[in-house]
Amino acid sequence: MARRGRDRSKRYENVEFLGEGQFATVYKAKDLHNGNKIVAVKKIKLGQRSEAEDGINRTALREIKLLQELQHENIIGLLDVFGQRSNINLVFDFMDTDLEVIIKDESIVLTPAHIKAYMIMTLRGLEYLHMNWILHRDMKPNNLLINDEGILKIGDFGLAKFYGSPSKVYTHQVVTRWYRCPELLFGARKYGTGVDLWATGCILAELLLRLPFLAGDSDLNQLSIIFETLGTPTEEQWPCMKSLPDFVEFKKFPGTPLSDIFTAATDDLLEFLSSMLDYNPCKRCTATQALKMRYFFSKPGPSPGFALPRPGAPSEVLKEEGNSRAGRKRKLPDESSVHLAKKLVF
Amino acid sequence: MAGNFWQSSHCNQWVLDNQCLLKNRQQDLAFLSEEEYQKVHIFYASVIQAIGEQLNVRQQVIATATIYFKRVYSRYSLKSIDPLLLGPTCLFLAAKVEESGLITNSKLQVACQSVVKKFAYAFKSQEFRYKPNQILECEFYLLELLDCCLIVYHPYRPLIQYVTDLGQEEQLLPLAWKIVNDSLRTDVCLLYPPYLIALACLHMACVISQKDTKHWFAELNVDLDKVLEITQQILKLYDLWKNYDEREEIAGILEKVPKPQLTPPGGAKTTEG
Repeated sequence: MARRGRDRSKRYENVEFLGEGQFATVYKAKDLHNGNKIVAVKKIKLGQRSEAEDGINRTALREIKLLQELQHENIIGLLDVFGQRSNINLVFDFMDTDLEVIIKDESIVLTPAHIKAYMIMTLRGLEYLHMNWILHRDMKPNNLLINDEGILKIGDFGLAKFYGSPSKVYTHQVVTRWYRCPELLFGARKYGTGVDLWATGCILAELLLRLPFLAGDSDLNQLSIIFETLGTPTEEQWPCMKSLPDFVEFKKFPGTPLSDIFTAATDDLLEFLSSMLDYNPCKRCTATQALKMRYFFSKPGPSPGFALPRPGAPSEVLKEEGNSRAGRKRKLPDESSVHLAKKLVF
Repeated sequence: MAGNFWQSSHCNQWVLDNQCLLKNRQQDLAFLSEEEYQKVHIFYASVIQAIGEQLNVRQQVIATATIYFKRVYSRYSLKSIDPLLLGPTCLFLAAKVEESGLITNSKLQVACQSVVKKFAYAFKSQEFRYKPNQILECEFYLLELLDCCLIVYHPYRPLIQYVTDLGQEEQLLPLAWKIVNDSLRTDVCLLYPPYLIALACLHMACVISQKDTKHWFAELNVDLDKVLEITQQILKLYDLWKNYDEREEIAGILEKVPKPQLTPPGGAKTTEG
């Protein structure tokens, strides 16, 4: 993939500055060797002194090593990697927007068919990752990128990791808090694909509510919000939870039935949602199981890509300006998870 | 570590062809005989191993680093980059890729320093002359030279699976494991997929411990000719080791290795041939 460095930087002509994160700057660029195709170039900053000592940024390295092995319609494509002086640059598929922007754009109406389409694409990408023994560990609307054809691709592999080694102990400080599953919040060091499915469940709920579903402001508060909403789990629902490292006893909340929270949702959707939000990680559905659920076989069928909404409806020109700005800034992998990533000790 | 080998960059881009390997080596073979060339690689594999042990990293990291090292020289001449700089850099990168805890640059310096002393019989200078910033620059080049293919599959995991299936683990596994480690001193890791290397090493372990496993091997649906080729390459290594005194010979051989031209004053920049 990456070949000699020197001339490579000339291959990509920057068009527009898109955003800046803690460890990368992202540009929209033209690929001059490929019919001026629009791409996103992520320029990894060299860390500050002490960090620079450790060489190539580990988060960037994780993205390179995993994305280099992955090829799927619903996974962001790493097209090229090139060095330029002492900078490393990753070239990605250019993605117009992300699911967070769509959810927040009040001019967009999300129909059940739209939501089904987003869920199918998310789960297909996730199924592929899990089949390759990779956990994403940072699923959230902001990391589900969408291109101009309406295709959704999972991005930001800065926290992703191989799983499945029985002996390996993982950090529980992963996944943005609102999408973090209860076993992680209780400090589990061994976990599996369930962490990504719980997050997907939260994303589905957010697509329905147009607001973050479980928005805690601390780890403890996150747990109590989960339990207040879904009911405190019983020993029967979730055996062994008491043996988790950071387990704390919570008040017994009865919780609200999902059908009372999502009043407009159909039965098959609620069944699908509740199987992703199962407290017991062993019983939570897998991506493959999820894709086989009744929800995906009943009407309405998922919208095709071209029929999916675009942010910034044409009638609201002024708003578009503001929206696309914000959208683009958050658009590319990294930013919000960077802070978290640095705390990780493997 | 897992993933899918059959769709990996290792399988698709890095199982090389012997002819092409020899072709890329021609430049070096003008200065060294084939056997001397192999001795250079054996030596640096030991250097990488020693630095890795000094740093207490897992064997997996050492194996990955060794393969990075061999992949680079499978395409480029030894003169394009000093192996003594590339070796430690491979470890530095491999430790990060394998997520096995960071090797800090300062620890790497200390380890290299002491390993250079350990191999004093090979080097003229008793100092490890590369500075941390040169390792960093080299890491950058390494990533590029590897085409960003960082995930490497090793024979260890398939070996465990095969041995479990075959039975008699306690006797066979340690022996076969050692042979896999030794295989890193040959070209087999560049030429064959890891599961075939595992089978070859297991087969050798069976022969050595006089286990009759013909039946088990006969039932495998694999290319046994390739297994045999791997076995021969490893046997050739053992043959070479029999009459080879590294302490005596290696300094002379390293002397003949074509050297990179350093660009002063920055140092580590290489000139590709």
